[in-house]
Amino acid sequence: MSVSRRDLFRTIGTASATAVVASLPAAAAETRTAPADALGLLYDTTVCIGCKACVAACTAANNLEPDTEMSGGIWQMPTDLNAQTKNIIQLYRSPDGAESSFMKRQCMQCVDPACASACPFSALAKGKFGIVEWEPSRCIGCRFCEISCPFDVPRFEWAKFNPKIVKCELCRHRLPEGLQPACTEVCPVGAVVFGTRADLLREAHRRIAANPGKYYQDRVYGEHDLGGTQVVYLSHVPFAKIGLPEVGNESRAHYGEKVHGVVYKGMVVPTVVYAGLAFLMRRRFKVHEDEAAHHNREDQL
Amino acid sequence: MKTARWNYAVPVRGPLVTAPLVFFSILAAIALALSVWRLFGGLAFTGMNDDYAIGVWKTFNVMTLTALGSSALAVGMTTWIFNQRQLHVVMRAALTSSILFYGTGMFALGFDVGRPWNFYHVILPWNWNLHSALLEVSVCMTAYVAIFLLYENLPAVLPKRWFDRIKPLYPYMVAAAFLLPAMHQSSLGSLMVIAGTKVHPLWQTQMLPAFYLMQAIVCGFASLIVILIVACLAWKRPLDVPILATLAKFMAWSSIVFVVARYADVVIRGRLGLAFAPDWYSVLFHGENLFVLVPALVLLSERLRHIPRVLFLGAAATAIGGLVYRFSPTTLAFRYGRSSIYFPSTEELLMCVGYIGLAIALFILVVRRFAILPDRVSEPDRIPD
Repeated sequence: MSVSRRDLFRTIGTASATAVVASLPAAAAETRTAPADALGLLYDTTVCIGCKACVAACTAANNLEPDTEMSGGIWQMPTDLNAQTKNIIQLYRSPDGAESSFMKRQCMQCVDPACASACPFSALAKGKFGIVEWEPSRCIGCRFCEISCPFDVPRFEWAKFNPKIVKCELCRHRLPEGLQPACTEVCPVGAVVFGTRADLLREAHRRIAANPGKYYQDRVYGEHDLGGTQVVYLSHVPFAKIGLPEVGNESRAHYGEKVHGVVYKGMVVPTVVYAGLAFLMRRRFKVHEDEAAHHNREDQL
Repeated sequence: MKTARWNYAVPVRGPLVTAPLVFFSILAAIALALSVWRLFGGLAFTGMNDDYAIGVWKTFNVMTLTALGSSALAVGMTTWIFNQRQLHVVMRAALTSSILFYGTGMFALGFDVGRPWNFYHVILPWNWNLHSALLEVSVCMTAYVAIFLLYENLPAVLPKRWFDRIKPLYPYMVAAAFLLPAMHQSSLGSLMVIAGTKVHPLWQTQMLPAFYLMQAIVCGFASLIVILIVACLAWKRPLDVPILATLAKFMAWSSIVFVVARYADVVIRGRLGLAFAPDWYSVLFHGENLFVLVPALVLLSERLRHIPRVLFLGAAATAIGGLVYRFSPTTLAFRYGRSSIYFPSTEELLMCVGYIGLAIALFILVVRRFAILPDRVSEPDRIPD
């Protein structure tokens, strides 16, 4: 038996239908907003003196072993965020040396976090005050949070038998004691301050208004970028230079859920497809069975 | 090479322990030993790190090789839904290879995840994050392998009177066995959508789920053609060229749909310029497409696709193109333009290869004792099924 033209067109039709279903408009993906009591940080590169007191304080407050590898075991000297470092001060300097800036990196506490969208069992999820929390009992260690995070924040304990995901949780264990995050508490110059997202944005805009031309594009990074973040930045150098990606205002979660969200919304599409397949299969099964029986009779089996 | 019309699935028989089996078993044993060692030592010995947090076990054993394990989906849909009754004779080979590709892939995944003991959440729906493509893959793939693919494989290994008891379920189980892989094969593509700008724009598209699924279909046909030809050569069985040609015809048309859709996607997104940029990514992009498109155009010819050598080379080239395409978004085109790259460590590679060796060793054992591979047999040798 050869393949008829009609069958081929049907095959192609199915493939194209799949493609159409897969490219339905973004209507179903929801746009998430920050909770009213969202807490965060404001970091201002023009104020930071690069003393790294926040790095040491963070390590102590979070019971982490200081990363002393680069200094031969003498003092804390992390080169990047890692399984022992939830907060780091890095230095950007342009090749000609004319432009430089410190940069504080830690979890941005996204308004619509990609990690929480990617995490299969919601081990990473927005908790109280909009803080992105990690729940060990739900984490399978798949590391898709690391793949999805636009800021490369979550880190994994590669060498451990029982590895954890390590990332800043805004010192949420200190907040009930009336304490602020360790980094803002120790900062001697107020380069990083703690508060509600609304207050921090107001303060950032006040600084911009008071100092025209001082800040890059007179803009607060994180107000809208990637769906908004609860940690926001003011910088005198382009944001992209200090590792803040300039990739628009749509959150990764929103981008990622566009297709997935439509296809799996209420399981409607899978259910309809299953019903169609089951209906066809029931008919085909009977016909093919009868044929097989007939075929066996002809063969005197 | 002999040719004949296949009419029944027949065990290969012969001695169980042979040189190829020993070879693949050794590969598998090395992988299993390393896997046990990994349980105590963590993942620090791999080439993975926080920048390249997924390695070959996930990106190759699961996200790439399950495309080859999609014969049960591609050929099954063609046989039942598109009514190609003559393909029933190769379905058992498709189902066996599929469950082995999937099974060993999921086995690899068990050692890749850092905290596998928490995987029990997969049976607790109230803990599911329905926004997560990985959740969809976890649930769907587990259910597919453990229930539906297993059920489909039972007729080959269970006595007929036992299977007859659960036979009334057949149409409903098979319908699910088409829906589930279509869901998780596309979700494998969705996994990389959320990585956003970390994936090179030639690969990063909302169409990734559709492309991953199309490529599963293409590779499903390709892998069955290759497996059948290799098995017939290895065990000196006749080839049923018209059956293989039918598979090749479906493979060719699905390949053409894939390549056309892929170029259309790049044009619509306005990224065509990148496809002609003077870098390796454009070479990789066209390479993936040509490895799939050229065999497809050759196999459109009725005459050419009845030549076993052309069938084999065409299917093998298509599978290579398809596999590279499925590998690129996670690895080759991931974090593009950086000076650092991910390359698996020796132990990691040995485990990757060993899991494949395990699948091949099991395949050899199963086809020797059970009626899986098709053959032309005269009446006395027939096993009624």
